[in-house]
Amino acid sequence: METFVTAVEGSAIHHWVLGFTWTWPVLEILHFIGLSLLLGALLVIDLRMAGFFRRINIAGTHKMLPWVFVGFGINLVTGFLFLMGDPARYTANIGFWWKMFLVGLAGVNAIWFWIKINPVMTGWEPHADPPVIAKTIAWVSLGSWFGVLLLGRLIPYIGTG
Amino acid sequence: MFEWLETTTPAIWVGESLWGYPIMLGCHVVGLATAVGIFMMRDLRLIGFLEGISYESLDSLRNLGWTGFVINAISGCFLFTSQATVFIDSTPFLLKISMIFLAATLAAVIQNRMRDAAADWDGSGAVAGNVRIIASVSSALWIGAIISGRLVAYI
Repeated sequence: METFVTAVEGSAIHHWVLGFTWTWPVLEILHFIGLSLLLGALLVIDLRMAGFFRRINIAGTHKMLPWVFVGFGINLVTGFLFLMGDPARYTANIGFWWKMFLVGLAGVNAIWFWIKINPVMTGWEPHADPPVIAKTIAWVSLGSWFGVLLLGRLIPYIGTG
Repeated sequence: MFEWLETTTPAIWVGESLWGYPIMLGCHVVGLATAVGIFMMRDLRLIGFLEGISYESLDSLRNLGWTGFVINAISGCFLFTSQATVFIDSTPFLLKISMIFLAATLAAVIQNRMRDAAADWDGSGAVAGNVRIIASVSSALWIGAIISGRLVAYI
């Protein structure tokens, strides 16, 4: 990890992130806008898939998926730049690693959704109560993303473990 | 008065206990994601995105959006008390509060219009023109509140 930190701290991108007073706050603003899009769209998709808001057409909620990807894309790029800007602090922080673990878990869960639910859900009645497997995937998604949200916000207050 | 606020029990709990500040900050980001996320999804639908979700069904999300809003009103008050004299003199903070006040007013306007007319919009396939404008302004205000909120820490 020390080699990684040294390599990043010698890179041009590291100096770009730290080279202007406005970069860090602008990245933070974009990260907050990204999380609002990501979590907002996911709340609707996952709560419907967990059986709530049954008035909403379940296939319709998946029109929100592109907004999940827009939010995730913004936060992947800005999050990567945070890591480039301050590699020593993030890699030494246990909260950061738990956050990355939960992002990974959410990714595996999304693949599970893609394989198990996506092919069959077009056949579901629009206002039906989804099967248990769909509800499970929805709760794993909500749990991991809200974990990501809390860990991310609290990284400055969590120690090196 | 703001000096006095900083000496009250909640202010000292938030400002000086080990857990007070992180707990309130954690609540504040959960409420932000919920309120801004849900209200912006509703705005996006009214602006013309997310075709396939009926306006009438979208109205059922209102209580979830307001739940996030209430979480943030409460956690925001706690956070405010800990540094009341700093926040009350901060231009970005005052801008943030003004934009949230306006955005919440527009959220109430939008839900009233939806309650009256969502079924008609679903029938005709289009929302009334001024509702699209109100929804665009609402989204811009939520984003503005995020921008100025972040800048409180820097300016």
